[in-house]
Amino acid sequence: MSQSRALSSAFTISVNLHGTSVERRVVSGDRLVGRYAYGKYIVNGTERLLGLFDKHDIKATFFVPVREAELHPSLIDEIGKCGHEIAANGYELEDHSKLGDKERDVIKRTFDALSSRVGKSVAGWRAPDGLVSERTLGYLAETGFSYDSSFQDDDHPYVVTDCGRADFAEVPQNEMLMDQTLFAVRQTHDRVLKNWIEEFDGLQSEGCYGCLTLHPRPDYGVGRPSRVLMLDQFLEHLKRIRGAVVFKTCEQAARDACADMRSQ
Amino acid sequence: MDHKWPDNAQCVVCITIDYDGPSNDISKDLIPLGKHSHGRYPAKCGVPRYLSMLERQRIPATFFVPGYDAEHYPESVKSIVRAGHEIGAHGYMHESFDVGNKEPELLEKSHRILTELAGAPPVGWRNPGGGKSALTLRTLRSLGYIYDSSEKDDDFPFFPKLDGGAIEDFINLPDNTSSLDDFPFYRVSYTPPSEVLAHWKQEFHATYIERGFFDLIVHPRTGFGSGSPTRVKVVDDLISFIKEYPGVRFMRLDEVARWCLANPSMWRSEFREG
Repeated sequence: MSQSRALSSAFTISVNLHGTSVERRVVSGDRLVGRYAYGKYIVNGTERLLGLFDKHDIKATFFVPVREAELHPSLIDEIGKCGHEIAANGYELEDHSKLGDKERDVIKRTFDALSSRVGKSVAGWRAPDGLVSERTLGYLAETGFSYDSSFQDDDHPYVVTDCGRADFAEVPQNEMLMDQTLFAVRQTHDRVLKNWIEEFDGLQSEGCYGCLTLHPRPDYGVGRPSRVLMLDQFLEHLKRIRGAVVFKTCEQAARDACADMRSQ
Repeated sequence: MDHKWPDNAQCVVCITIDYDGPSNDISKDLIPLGKHSHGRYPAKCGVPRYLSMLERQRIPATFFVPGYDAEHYPESVKSIVRAGHEIGAHGYMHESFDVGNKEPELLEKSHRILTELAGAPPVGWRNPGGGKSALTLRTLRSLGYIYDSSEKDDDFPFFPKLDGGAIEDFINLPDNTSSLDDFPFYRVSYTPPSEVLAHWKQEFHATYIERGFFDLIVHPRTGFGSGSPTRVKVVDDLISFIKEYPGVRFMRLDEVARWCLANPSMWRSEFREG
């Protein structure tokens, strides 16, 4: 297991573009103040992340609720112009485990609306809050998506065999590499960094895939200046051994998983 | 009471691994997919990683497997048996709640599934998430079980009481789900793995001094469990640390239970209030 130190790990930096679509699930647009104001930080946080990714020359994957794309069209354009991948994160942060008969339509509308804004078919989808139904993957595959990134059940991206297509992949996430997991329980920056470094070092020692999941928010996200500095240190750690990490967008990771499957 | 361990060992160490596949999530009414897919990790990644580590360390372990998970991942369970580890029962759908009158039926169902896969009936049981009732002991005994590893109220094995009297054909091997379990650290407090390792080393040291019984509980899943490379390495490093102490004996829980039943005068019976 740990003898394979020389292996390189594929690693993705992903961002769930959560702004006021989070608060709008519970309050109307005129109530986005006080404790419901966090979502309005989205531009501050995203600009800061874009600057950091540029500094490190990393292309990330942004999972965007369509609602945020409608609210912030120029921000989406800017993310795209920087060369980052844009993928879907629901239409307005629906709970897909509870949509029932409406789910197929929501997925279709999400795909169409976001693809139309981006100007090409979006490849990826991630469940809002990671909640899916037994039918989600089948609907995604039939709609035209190429991968899902909602599960946490593997060390590597894999081809989903029971979704009606042979070229649909799962690009798994990792609870311990999500800012939300730790900031939501008010861990300190030092402790978050320690958790991330230890989790990553273990993955890297076995050549496993890692997916970091970030949010531009100031509450459970990494958007604040002090937290972006912490993220900067983590990215430095990933890059400290030349060649130990290969950065891929989720789309690249999905495509590589399908190619590996074909070559077997 | 003065106890002795086999070979006059100073301390007995049991590495126990609660399989907790999708049954754990389903029992909480969650769809075991998406962010609740951690239970799919043991069969694919977590169990192979533990088997490889245990083989390298050359120590036996006990795996507690819910019946539902065994039904869905039979090859995974067989790989554990082939490696020489013990299979214990752990509920059908990881029922951490009172299942009422259906309990005997569910215990029997899991018993049949595990017996078929393991080629021999399980002799040990651990309650899933603390779920146990007055019916449990009675049913387990009738199915031929010799131990339960669910009680939190003693440091050493003890004989349970049934109908007011002590019995000596069944032993409780206490577990410690507050400080020798991965769940409280990786879920409740989100403690970094290196700090969890330091904490478990302290736990072992104190247990060793008291010539105690060290029963570690880990889960081969992601999320609250210890399936990932980093967290299996924590258990691996802990085992290496323990091996530096003289007179430590690594055992499966069924071996500990048989030792206790063969030497009944060493163990006290259940402490009852009032």
